[in-house]
Amino acid sequence: MLYRLQHHIRATANRHGITSRRDFLRAVGVAGAAVGAVSWTDAIALAADDLRKRNKACILLWMAGGPSQFETFSPKPDHANGGETKAISTAVSGIQIAENLPRVADVMDEIAIIRSMTSKEGSHPRASFYMHHGYLPMGGVKFPTLGSNVAHQIGDAACELPSFVRIGGRGQGSGNAGFLGVDYDPLILQNADRPPANSEPTTSRDRYTRRLGLLQSLDNDFAAAEGTDLVHDHRKLVDAASEMILSPKMEAFDIERESSAMRDAYGRTNFGSSCLMARRLIERGVTFVEVNVGGWDTHDNNFERVANLTGQIDQPMAQLIADLRQRGMLDDTLVVWMGEFGRTPKINGRNGRDHYPRAFNVALAGGGVRGGQVIGETNAAGTDVTERPVQVKDLFASIYTLLGIDPSHENMSLIGRPIQLVDEGEAVEELWS
Amino acid sequence: MFRDFVALACAALVGSFADAAPNVQRVARQVDQLLAEELFDDSTDLAPPVDDATFLRRVWLDVVGDIPSPEHTTAFLLEPSPDKRNRVIRDLLASEQYGQNWARYWRDVILSRRIEDRAVIVSNPLVTMLTEELNRGTGWDEVAQKFITATGDVREDGATAILMAQDGVTEDSTAEFSRIFLGIQIQCAQCHDHPYDRWKREQFHELAAFFPRTAVRPVNSATKRSFQVIANNGRDVRRGNNNNLNRRGAAEHYMPDLDDPSAIGERMQPKFFLTGAQLPIGTRDAQRREAVAEWMTESPWFATAYVNRMWAELVGEGFYEPVDDMGPDRTPNGAKAVEYLSQEFAASGYDPKWLMRVILSTEAYGRECRPRRLPDEPAFTANVAQPLRGDQLFNSLLTTLELDEATIRSMVTGGGGRVYGGQTSPRDGFNVAFGFDPSAPRETITSSIPQSLAMMNQPQINRSLSAGSWRRPTSLGKLIASVEDDDMLTSELFLRTLCREPTDEELEQVHTYAKSVDNRTETYEDLLWSLINSTEYAYRK
Repeated sequence: MLYRLQHHIRATANRHGITSRRDFLRAVGVAGAAVGAVSWTDAIALAADDLRKRNKACILLWMAGGPSQFETFSPKPDHANGGETKAISTAVSGIQIAENLPRVADVMDEIAIIRSMTSKEGSHPRASFYMHHGYLPMGGVKFPTLGSNVAHQIGDAACELPSFVRIGGRGQGSGNAGFLGVDYDPLILQNADRPPANSEPTTSRDRYTRRLGLLQSLDNDFAAAEGTDLVHDHRKLVDAASEMILSPKMEAFDIERESSAMRDAYGRTNFGSSCLMARRLIERGVTFVEVNVGGWDTHDNNFERVANLTGQIDQPMAQLIADLRQRGMLDDTLVVWMGEFGRTPKINGRNGRDHYPRAFNVALAGGGVRGGQVIGETNAAGTDVTERPVQVKDLFASIYTLLGIDPSHENMSLIGRPIQLVDEGEAVEELWS
Repeated sequence: MFRDFVALACAALVGSFADAAPNVQRVARQVDQLLAEELFDDSTDLAPPVDDATFLRRVWLDVVGDIPSPEHTTAFLLEPSPDKRNRVIRDLLASEQYGQNWARYWRDVILSRRIEDRAVIVSNPLVTMLTEELNRGTGWDEVAQKFITATGDVREDGATAILMAQDGVTEDSTAEFSRIFLGIQIQCAQCHDHPYDRWKREQFHELAAFFPRTAVRPVNSATKRSFQVIANNGRDVRRGNNNNLNRRGAAEHYMPDLDDPSAIGERMQPKFFLTGAQLPIGTRDAQRREAVAEWMTESPWFATAYVNRMWAELVGEGFYEPVDDMGPDRTPNGAKAVEYLSQEFAASGYDPKWLMRVILSTEAYGRECRPRRLPDEPAFTANVAQPLRGDQLFNSLLTTLELDEATIRSMVTGGGGRVYGGQTSPRDGFNVAFGFDPSAPRETITSSIPQSLAMMNQPQINRSLSAGSWRRPTSLGKLIASVEDDDMLTSELFLRTLCREPTDEELEQVHTYAKSVDNRTETYEDLLWSLINSTEYAYRK
């Protein structure tokens, strides 16, 4: 039965309740063996393109807290506001980024940087909501988050895995499916090293199946009269949930199936594992993966803290782009690096940088993006956008367009009011032309 | 049969409880009468009245948000008194859990639409405040006035919840007050004249003009982090943009100029759209909010909004749907009934307990459930089964499994950091996974695979579903050991979960299953697992 398996709401790993990874593998292993899928991993990798040949996919690398543009993609070594951060050359002559990202510099030919992002939202919850939804929060309308909209538009209904997976979703304002309904909510993984919560039967497979049979027969009475429709839906759900956890495709969530060399290439860190998991999930038919890294709110000790954070993201991000390219997946997989805003040009008394939405940067790669370019510019002090300002709505229009989605598509909200994916944004066409 | 019983119950009521609720039964009969006149004819197929067991589970879940224990159910079924349904309604309404259950309901109404995630810190104060008011029997008008006029620290006064949830943003707070207390979504007129209703854009902004001076400001001291609702009664110094007004407040409200969003816009005088009552420019914050609170709660729509919502929760469908989108341009089902009931509710002093007692006493409430009707079928011929809210399901599991909330560990952890109350209690975590916005049309509330997985596989639930060890049996283990008769044991498990006896057919199904499993302990572990995961368990029918 190919029930639409996009029903994923935020049930996350239970702190006390996770049985060991070995048990998880045993359950999945049994299922895999049952369908003769010993070399199944290889088969799925080969078939991945077929599985999702119509559609594009997207990986959002979310830097919660607001990453400093000066210490990432927009260094200002010649101005006092640039602080101690130096610029380095990249694979593309004429483009320099901060010295903190040497590995990313090596794949600059795939990356487009927008240095002229501009917004008015300087508080974490509102700005984070804005950069996740393309809308500001408004009472009465439950806007869907970017990943939910993408899953709704181009998610693969035939895939047994969820269309939208969020890894480490602790940020404020990151949102969910809103009025699109739970079908498009993210399945949340607390981190990439563990399977989704409660995805392992607590009994043997045989007994589990037996129990399902008893459950079915007990529902008959309620189904016969008052609850016909309810039992119907409930059964679909129980079937779909059971199918998912008994499915060999659950191995997608088992990062240990990647080779040791591959794990090393991504780096054995949280973010490394998450990027690898994102690639693994996209390869197997998931449409949107959001990877969260927090800690970018560097009001004090900015330079040391950002260096630490960029140290965490440099290798995995570069490897993700290189790996996607090497597998021939990069053209159809858009990678977006962003946070809710940038940091103040002026360095404050605690050697920190405060919130600054007026001029900040984002980076995009793959999915049809023409790499090796910088869009927009700020003045020497980094305080104002001087060329090609890009509003948040323009960025959203660009992301949707790159994914083959019409940004002016209207959804009907629960209060009967049509809501466009993006309201009045204009795509930044330089990104692909 | 039910009618006879009602007649008897009425007789008993007139005798013994005339003082407490002189007109409950009279109003309930009149509502049924009006519905029959308006909606039913001779060919209408009314669902029969529910049996006692179904009634008891329904009324428990509706009033106190929990299921009755096997002892309660058995005692109720055996009780000969013809007045027993009224007695149980009175008892439940008098219990502490009544206020708590409905306080949690309103918490979900208010916080589900929050635009500021940190508003969860007002959750516990809100539940505490409302529990007290509801149990005390405070009029809903008085409660609404507290919400509209609240000031102070949100951790200390739950009445700040709506303002906190909307981050003090003038337009959003205005919209929520109107939606929650009047059932009118005038905010659709915020940017343009309302497409379906009569409201004009000016009217929304005139309503917003009661709230510009109200702001929500962070409190960051060495000892605590909180927010407070403050009033800004300073001069009307308006800078070029509208940024940050929710933190500072402003003397007057300005309606943006749609052609020039950077312009200051048009200054609006506070004016109440339903009556035209107004206040002068320059009126202080307290006077503005007190006036609008009074005018809103005097409006007939105020009574109707509450009546409609409660009716929808209890009978399964509102007179107006969705429950919070009414107004003079919408046509309700049962127009006379809702008008009459709203007037009586106002006459009762907006007494929530009185209203609940009336609705629970109607025939419309007491009918069996049927699947949600098709649009061309008459409304209110049957009750409609409702999915349990997060708190109701959580309470049910605690009762079924005999778990103590104070000692259990988390059942389901949430998406991290945004659960009610800040700290993740097992109940909070469960609510994040299973809660929903009670204002959304109930048929749009769908469960999800992770919910299903949690009910089926969650380790803590499953530990309680096992018999345990010989040394440390669970409550199920003790039952299996002490009840020797298989059918008795089956009945006990049905009573613990579905609050009813099994049918003959179900007993037979369990027999067949037991034979195939050939292990008594496993059979009953599996039975309890299946019952908890059944559709019937997840609904109040």
